Amino acid sequence: MSIKCSELTKVYEGGHAGWPALRGVSFEIKPGEFAAVTGPSGCGKSTLLNIIGLLDEPSGGGYELNGRDVFTLSDQERSDLRRDGIGFVFQSFHLLNRMSAMENVCLPMMYAGVPSAAMRERAAALLSKVGLRGKEKKTPLELSGGERQRVAIARALANSPKIILADEPTGNLDSVSSREIIDALLGLNAEGITVVMVTHDRELAARAARNIRMRDGRIEP
Amino acid sequence: MRAILNAARTGFAEIWAHKTRSVLSFLAIAAGSVVFIDAFSAIFHTYERLQKQKEVSGIARLKIVQNRAQSFASPDDYTPPPVMTYEDVLALRERVPGLHMVSPEGSDWRNVLEYEGRRVVTALTGVTPEWTKRDFVYTLKGRFIDWHDVENKLRVCVLVQKAPPPPSNSYEKMNRNRWNISGSFDTMVAHTDLLGKDVLIDNLSFTVIGILEELPYSRRPYIVGQTTDYKVLAPVTTMAHYEFIGPMQSLDVNIDTGDEKTFDDAMRKVNNFLKVRFGDGEFFLLENRLEMIRDTIGKEIKAALVTISLGMLAFIAGGIGIMNVTLATVFARTREIGVRRAIGASRSDIMLQFVVEAVMLGLIGGVLGSALGYLWGVPLKVILGMSANPIKAWMPMVSVLIAALTAFVFAIYPAWVAAGLKPADALRAE
Repeated sequence: MSIKCSELTKVYEGGHAGWPALRGVSFEIKPGEFAAVTGPSGCGKSTLLNIIGLLDEPSGGGYELNGRDVFTLSDQERSDLRRDGIGFVFQSFHLLNRMSAMENVCLPMMYAGVPSAAMRERAAALLSKVGLRGKEKKTPLELSGGERQRVAIARALANSPKIILADEPTGNLDSVSSREIIDALLGLNAEGITVVMVTHDRELAARAARNIRMRDGRIEP
Repeated sequence: MRAILNAARTGFAEIWAHKTRSVLSFLAIAAGSVVFIDAFSAIFHTYERLQKQKEVSGIARLKIVQNRAQSFASPDDYTPPPVMTYEDVLALRERVPGLHMVSPEGSDWRNVLEYEGRRVVTALTGVTPEWTKRDFVYTLKGRFIDWHDVENKLRVCVLVQKAPPPPSNSYEKMNRNRWNISGSFDTMVAHTDLLGKDVLIDNLSFTVIGILEELPYSRRPYIVGQTTDYKVLAPVTTMAHYEFIGPMQSLDVNIDTGDEKTFDDAMRKVNNFLKVRFGDGEFFLLENRLEMIRDTIGKEIKAALVTISLGMLAFIAGGIGIMNVTLATVFARTREIGVRRAIGASRSDIMLQFVVEAVMLGLIGGVLGSALGYLWGVPLKVILGMSANPIKAWMPMVSVLIAALTAFVFAIYPAWVAAGLKPADALRAE
């Protein structure tokens, strides 16, 4: 899946009324790339990632996901694209604490209508892949930060997405766990999945094949 | 279907996680259920009794009674008023054909019955075989009075064996005992086999050809009108012949016109007959039983509607409770909504999630309310001495359905709010 943004702008309404988070952002990410978006806090990295991931809508400009203009998509089509094409990894994991690791990984497949047995089988395989075999029944509260993020990665992979969007995936982790997570993301990229990672950690960004630097809502040349 | 099951599973976890809040929501909905079941059972019981009354008593009923005011009120030039005799009844049968029942009744209020030296006070009522066509709430041993007995003025009689009295308060008991001058007669009929025996009534020999055993009160359908307290029945002609019914005594005539649709027409014809036969003096009145029955039904339905509307109010209050809880849940779980949206849940998936959870609250509340309603409807009411209406299996089911429907309706707005949240905004929520 390719990502092509042209002159994207985003002006927040409400609390940040009139405050432009993005001031004309243009770039293209080709299928299979590993891109790190870096920059100081408040420079618009997360806003950009939300727009790329169809979680938010830009105020202006153009955005084509795999050649399709996302402005023309209905809410259902955007939901389907998120479900089947995009996997999210968040800084604070965003797992559902009531559910076990297994159930958290099953959730995207449930929305995709995968049969129950197949769903559980795939979830177990994914948890095993991220090194959590035997911890399927644990709830996020019973896991360490690194383990939680690995559950989140397994969840992101549930519906075999073409893109992984990671928003500060190591922001809440120690250096050992951070390294593991980055290794996992690099591994996925090696399998052909496009990875876009937002981070303000230059060391981590250096491991990405491509760096997109942002400042004040713009991409630095 | 799987989406609903999954939503239900999440819903159950959510309900379990917030037990106090959930129990309060159940109770609010349960209150509606209790009142609804009570109203249902009251309405249904009235309907059922009415159907039974239609079967047993007929509904298109008239009664000809003497107009006492017209007959006896004049202070001057007293001339005896006309009376309804058996011959008049036969004439009515002939002039107004097609009536289902024309049953004359003449009563002597105090007679002495003697059998094997025991003397008890009783009351004799003169009837014809038509008497059995309506209000026959008895089982008959032996045979009833037939036309042969009537035409030949035979001295035969049928005794009525009383059923145990219905449960009643002290005032009702007092009144019943106060008017019952023939308690010893009731005891005699209950304990002596008089069928086929000869008895003396006011020193005149009568043969007992039948015993009518009253059905227990629980199996009598009346809601309108009262039954006469019959003791001894004899042919109306025999009673007139032996002057148990005096020449100045008028017979009452119970009429069943047979059909509600032709009732008005039949009533007009009977009125015409009375005018032609007895003149314009209005010496007789026509009691319109149909109107009395309709009035009573109307009152009972009004009372039931009041209860139903209270039930509706209780349900609405419960629904608002569920709406409040669901809105609170939506705000408490905004981030979860964001996560679900991010991993592919559509707006309708989110809406379904919250609607299913609310409907579960409604369902559980409805089941709880039905159980309470049943407890209230039968055992508690009996303990408190209130009249309990039977609760049919479908009543709790309908009540649970209404509870679920109420929850559904009231959950739509909060669910719509949840579905309308933008994923990015929801994820940012604290």
